[in-house]
Amino acid sequence: MKKKMSAAAKRKRLNHLLLHTGLILFAAACVYPLLRIFSVSLRPGDKLVSMDLSIIPAGATLISYTKLLGDTMFLRWLWNSLLITLATSFIGVSLASTAAYAFSRFRFPGKKVGMILLLSSQMIPAGMLILPLFLMIMKLKLMNTYLGMIIAYSVSSLPFSIWILKGYYDTIPRSLEEAALVDGTSQVGAFWRIILPLSTPALSIAFLFNFTTAWNEYLVARVVLFSSKQYTWTLGLFELQGQYITQWGMFAAGSMLVTIPVLCVFLYSSKWLISGLTLGSVKG
Amino acid sequence: METLKSIYEVTWFILLVAAGVAVLIGYLYSHFKFYSRSWFFPAALAAFPLLALAVFGGLLGGYTFKLWLYFLLAEAAIAAFFRSVVKGRHTVPYLMLAPAFVGLALLLVYPFIFEVYLSFHDLKLTTIMTWKNTGTLPFVGIDQYVKVFTTSPLSETTFWHLLLRTLVWTFSNVFFHVLGGFILALMLNNHIKFKGFYRTLLVIPWAMPQVVAVLAMRGEFHSTNGFVNIVINKLLAVFPFLAGLGVAPVQWLTDYPLLTCTLINIWLGIPFMMVVILGGLQSISSSYYDAADIDGASYFQKLRFITLPLVRPVMMPAVTLGTVWTFNNINVIYLVTGQAGGTEQADILVSALYKAAFTYNRYSYSAAFALVVFAMLFFFSVFYLKSFDAAKDER
Repeated sequence: MKKKMSAAAKRKRLNHLLLHTGLILFAAACVYPLLRIFSVSLRPGDKLVSMDLSIIPAGATLISYTKLLGDTMFLRWLWNSLLITLATSFIGVSLASTAAYAFSRFRFPGKKVGMILLLSSQMIPAGMLILPLFLMIMKLKLMNTYLGMIIAYSVSSLPFSIWILKGYYDTIPRSLEEAALVDGTSQVGAFWRIILPLSTPALSIAFLFNFTTAWNEYLVARVVLFSSKQYTWTLGLFELQGQYITQWGMFAAGSMLVTIPVLCVFLYSSKWLISGLTLGSVKG
Repeated sequence: METLKSIYEVTWFILLVAAGVAVLIGYLYSHFKFYSRSWFFPAALAAFPLLALAVFGGLLGGYTFKLWLYFLLAEAAIAAFFRSVVKGRHTVPYLMLAPAFVGLALLLVYPFIFEVYLSFHDLKLTTIMTWKNTGTLPFVGIDQYVKVFTTSPLSETTFWHLLLRTLVWTFSNVFFHVLGGFILALMLNNHIKFKGFYRTLLVIPWAMPQVVAVLAMRGEFHSTNGFVNIVINKLLAVFPFLAGLGVAPVQWLTDYPLLTCTLINIWLGIPFMMVVILGGLQSISSSYYDAADIDGASYFQKLRFITLPLVRPVMMPAVTLGTVWTFNNINVIYLVTGQAGGTEQADILVSALYKAAFTYNRYSYSAAFALVVFAMLFFFSVFYLKSFDAAKDER
């Protein structure tokens, strides 16, 4: 009996060893490109192009970072992105929060049609609407401006945000509002003072989703913005990476500066994000 | 100073949006409140179209009689709707929905309709100035749709070629996303040490900004300085016999662009599937496995008869979503091949569409192209959801 146990334990150990090796290999494949960018960003200017594979290169310097911040408009690009993204997310979440409440709590003619339209709007390929939006923005004379970008972005995540928020509101018991209504608040007051404060987690998920979508967007920015002063960081990095091999270091430095905060926020919030995703789909 | 100016600009815009919402609510509220009064209908018809013309006329092509007529018709329809259908009920939900509804109508529905309009007209580089100034376009009927199927959106590839490539791209990507995600999720779904740590590292490709991830991976496929070829060279140096088997450094970006894009996109897409499938695996009660153990089931039997059927409901929506995303993925292909002089051998339908519009400036053509692609996707989704529903009913 004892011998058998130890054989089973041995097998388990072997299994775990295999599992760990496999996971380490996969994890390395996931992390390595990031480490490579990090390594390139530290390379001194004369060794940018090299076949070196070490992570901390010989003669590591921060020169790419100082050059990036000093010689290019990188900070300006970050600022542009931040401004556009914050404005879009704010507008998007505000519109979604009330619309989702209407869908969650009321029955009204057109509700079912509205929900179906909301879902089917997800089927419209994002790439398809770039052209008409571009033409609209051109016609409104908003090319190369923040406003044009904000207008183009503001409703792109709206259906999804409404969907997530509706799923969350559905889980809040109605009795809370009913109690407030008995106490004499209006329906809107109940929404403002009870539902909104209670749904901070869902609101932050929706905000985060809006934020990351707009923050990482490239294709609309490519056609709306054309002077490098107005660029978002995605356009700026693409230019840096594309033109000359000498700017490879600056591209890497910029990538690191953008990626680290995004990564931190994502990893911190990934639990909510995933539960938000599944909640939205299960409760739908 | 510049920053202050930009803050001012954006704040001003947000306030404008807020004011717009307030006006909208006031407008609708008047309909809810006074719909039954005898003076309401004529008053609304007299006042609102004129107001709308005053506010939007400048934006929408001048203060013309035609525009006023449109506003008049719209107001008549809205007022009639409030009088006969809404009748002052449902005030709260309608008012709460209205801002989002108007936003979606202006920036999602209207562009869609505008795209349909474009596809029957001829907007290209030579006609765009007249369109900008006068707002008129030559009508060409279904000409653009005929062109979609007969001419090339890019310089060489045809529609059918692109379609085939898109199907290969979508299928291979989704297949490897699901396979990779499933294997990783199975590996993570054990009681092992550092599980959370592995999970964190494994979602990094998903968490990284896509632009950074794709551009960085593109660098790794560079013919001399990219990681892939360096490793191939090192392998060749250590094991010379591999050269006899045909292993050699490759010009990834110019000779095999589609393969490169596919590899990059597989790398990008696995974490999402992994997370979804892991969620599904963790929701399976362990009692199923205990029962199977008592019956003496092997690992693969358990996988086949317990895990797969129970993960399926979680996986199917994710796979549908993943298929649509992959089908529509312009980002990866454009970022890898979209620079001036970039190759067109990797383009799928949607990226060809983007390039036709913005590299070759064939606006109307690409609008027709977009609608064809949309129709395909729409029928796929409807068909797919129907069959999924049918499968659901059977169980």
